[in-house]
Amino acid sequence: MPASASSSAAAVWAILRKECRSEWRTRYGVNAALVFAIATLTSVSFAVGRLGNRTDILSAILWIVLLFAALASLSHAFVREVEGHTMTFLRLIAAPGAIAFGKLLFNLLFLGVIELVTVPLFLILMGGPPPAWGAFLALLGLGSLALASAATLVGAVIAQTRGRGALFAAVSLPILLPVLAAAVSGTRAQWVGNPVGAELRLLAAYAAAVLGASVLLYDQLWED
Amino acid sequence: MSLAATLPATARAVIEARGLRHRYRPQRGLEAVSFSAASPGVVAVVGANGSGKSTLLRIVAGLLRPSEGELRVEVDGRAIPGAARRPVVGFAAPDLEFYDELSCAENLAFAAEARGLPSPRAAALAALARAELAGRADDRVAALSSGMKQRLRLAFALLHRPAILLLDEPGSHLDDAGRELLARIVAEESAHALVLIATNDEKEGRLAGERIELRGRGLGHPA
Repeated sequence: MPASASSSAAAVWAILRKECRSEWRTRYGVNAALVFAIATLTSVSFAVGRLGNRTDILSAILWIVLLFAALASLSHAFVREVEGHTMTFLRLIAAPGAIAFGKLLFNLLFLGVIELVTVPLFLILMGGPPPAWGAFLALLGLGSLALASAATLVGAVIAQTRGRGALFAAVSLPILLPVLAAAVSGTRAQWVGNPVGAELRLLAAYAAAVLGASVLLYDQLWED
Repeated sequence: MSLAATLPATARAVIEARGLRHRYRPQRGLEAVSFSAASPGVVAVVGANGSGKSTLLRIVAGLLRPSEGELRVEVDGRAIPGAARRPVVGFAAPDLEFYDELSCAENLAFAAEARGLPSPRAAALAALARAELAGRADDRVAALSSGMKQRLRLAFALLHRPAILLLDEPGSHLDDAGRELLARIVAEESAHALVLIATNDEKEGRLAGERIELRGRGLGHPA
């Protein structure tokens, strides 16, 4: 492996480990995300009971809960660095691309942890039909990759702006709508026994496009 | 392995600036400055508040792109562009902050690991020892006084034995013992590295053999 590639990989790995350690110490995002997910699912469950075969509503609830549980933390991946004045420290030890991909890997891991708790709870409380596990897990995986890569890129772009909180919602929601639409549609389709190939291809293409844009953009992002 | 890990401890560094200028709209951050400096040695960057001392150091570190002019940084004859200067530059400045939730050793080990240094924890402890902060290695940064944080900044700058050491107001928050330590560190580093110190403090200025005087307008004369 060339020296630059191996040092970038070392930086990405170091940043991922640091993010995990910081999250473990502060519980900055995971507590809020889990409380949101659990509170939403139990509230809906108490209000409407088990939804049985209403796969249209079930798939929408699942992805709305995942989206909003995750977004509050994903948006802060870079904002925390700016507000804590640690961005200079990071920029002095790693290339922008390595920083961004370390953050992206952490966001993916974070989403995985949220889903590990939220999805079983959702299946138990909402009482949906048993999923077609292969298609269901593929949709969760690709949906998470698309969601995390888009949220990481938007978070990096808006981190140094003044109205970053409001900007994140305004910029990310239209960008994330195709992910949400494809994920909801695919999740419903797997429940009713329809093919999910089109939704999976759309999510994969979306994630690939955002990751490609990220590779081109990250090195330009934090030049003053 | 990173560039820092492959460079000899006595890598020769040269900085040449021609008509270097920076503008933070709408104000000027740095009026045109030209200079040349080479290792080993210590150069003081002096000037009024707002004349651009910190801006100049950030440009040399590769953190800031100058609005105008040319800056050439060479290490052992190799030109190092701004984006690739991380491995050869050590940087300490008052606005450099660390992760409060991590200990001093964890912050520096993270930096060493990200830079691709072998034995990150050992490199972190060695740097902390140089800054006489070894006794606080396992304390979280949130628990440090401002003087201790300044020592941590010095340790961070020394972590990878850089060919160019950029110290922005390095004596700020330091007590007498801290200032003596700073003088010792600068003397040791100046034996092999190029040290640039941005300061308004006469004592710190005397650590340097040469001076770059910035003639910016300063705070009293808005651009």
